[in-house]
Amino acid sequence: MSRRIFALFSLFLLAAISFQTACAQELSRSTESALDWLKIMADAPRRHNYSGTFVYYADGHVETSRIVHKTDQTGERERIEVLDGSPRIVFRNNDEMQCYLPESKKIFTEKRWFRKFFPDILPFPLDDVDRNYYVKEAGQERVSDYECQVLSLIPRDSFRYGYQFWIDTKTGVPVKAAVVNGSQIIEQFAFAQLEIDREIDSSQLKPGQTLIADDWKTTNLLTSILNEGELQWQIKSLPAGFKKLVEMKRNLVEKTALVDHIAVSDGLATVSVFIEPISKDAPSPVPGFFTSRGAINIYVRTLDDNKITTVGEVPLETIKLIGDSVVKKN
Amino acid sequence: MKSKVSALMDGELDQQDVSVIIEAIKKDNELRDEWKTYHLIGDALRQSSRLSMNIASGVSQKLKTEPTVLSPNISRTTERKQNHKVLAFSMAASIIAMISGWVIMHNLYKPQQIVVAEQSKRDTLTASPIVVSSPPLIHNYSHPPVEMNDYLFVHREFSPGVTMNGQVTNVNNVTEYHERYGR
Repeated sequence: MSRRIFALFSLFLLAAISFQTACAQELSRSTESALDWLKIMADAPRRHNYSGTFVYYADGHVETSRIVHKTDQTGERERIEVLDGSPRIVFRNNDEMQCYLPESKKIFTEKRWFRKFFPDILPFPLDDVDRNYYVKEAGQERVSDYECQVLSLIPRDSFRYGYQFWIDTKTGVPVKAAVVNGSQIIEQFAFAQLEIDREIDSSQLKPGQTLIADDWKTTNLLTSILNEGELQWQIKSLPAGFKKLVEMKRNLVEKTALVDHIAVSDGLATVSVFIEPISKDAPSPVPGFFTSRGAINIYVRTLDDNKITTVGEVPLETIKLIGDSVVKKN
Repeated sequence: MKSKVSALMDGELDQQDVSVIIEAIKKDNELRDEWKTYHLIGDALRQSSRLSMNIASGVSQKLKTEPTVLSPNISRTTERKQNHKVLAFSMAASIIAMISGWVIMHNLYKPQQIVVAEQSKRDTLTASPIVVSSPPLIHNYSHPPVEMNDYLFVHREFSPGVTMNGQVTNVNNVTEYHERYGR
């Protein structure tokens, strides 16, 4: 008799375990409602008109910018003006970008290859985000007079930082975004003032009279996007979750030779690898690590007669892994 | 000799001394251990998550000294007892599985750390000195030189928050750059 009770008890325990394991497996994926918020946030900045002032904050440094964004049948147009320090104005017409530096009378043109401008920071599709981050809802908060859904993106491994987004519950436009390392915020963007869905005059989205002059020097930073295999370099093994986005030839300021540029991403964080021959006239490169403001880390190394500079918003270990796996194709 | 190993790691030896000490390390086991220890210390100081440690010999030593377990024959008289044991084992296993299920479930709330399984590869890299093209010293600068702004500018796609070339607001950056490159 006692044996039967034993057997029944073991069976019950086994059933309890399998139930718990099933629950655990479901939790390893982000919840559907959290992913829905992420989709709304990815889509909203492309669908709404908005204008306002936002602040970038990192390492005790504050920078204020003014943004105007208009969506109509021609697509998206945007103007971002940095208000602190030397003036800088960026005009974006869909993926074409122009950056005006009034002090030095320079214009840089560039094609957008990833979304880096707050508040339009999420890619499409979002599959990679769910694979590399556990997305969860973290309550509601009021930011800049908007009732916001807070979304936490917890990295699934130590190759990347975490993120936190504050999303306007009515329109889905992110009002605040932060990059976090554990519980510490390393950089953030936040609207101090924001108006959504107001009519925007198209004249605000074109360079004004003061910016149209003959003596400005225009530099195109991108010369060509390369096809698969055209570059003589390759990244042999990427850290888990990272994929190659694009390979380009770059015309960097004050460089005589073109620079090869490989960009990789895990869906949210991007890493750029720049490879260039070491010029005989320039000072020899100093290999090492550099930390820049906010989440950016930099790693410089040399390979034969080339300098490899790896830059990205990921931990130093990840930057080093990516930079070290650059090899020359045979 | 030991101080020379340390000097070699810091890149403070001249070319002739370098080849002499590398030859010595190749021959002398004690010096090789010294070389490994310095690397381990360096890794620990840099707070690297992967320490250059070779545990292979330690593990194989342990395995050698481990006693061989010989299982006894099961006699028929103990069969009844054995049945009880099986039940007891299954219960114990169930409880352990339940606890581990619970632990797994709770761990999922936290980010999981990936352990990069490149230990053995790195060991062979640091175990014996090799001549590399870049100096072994790794510089850590809190302010990147001004020439980095070009890369940051392109990488961030003009995003606010990044200082751009011709726009340096941090004076230290410029002086540091001039001091280093003398121009």
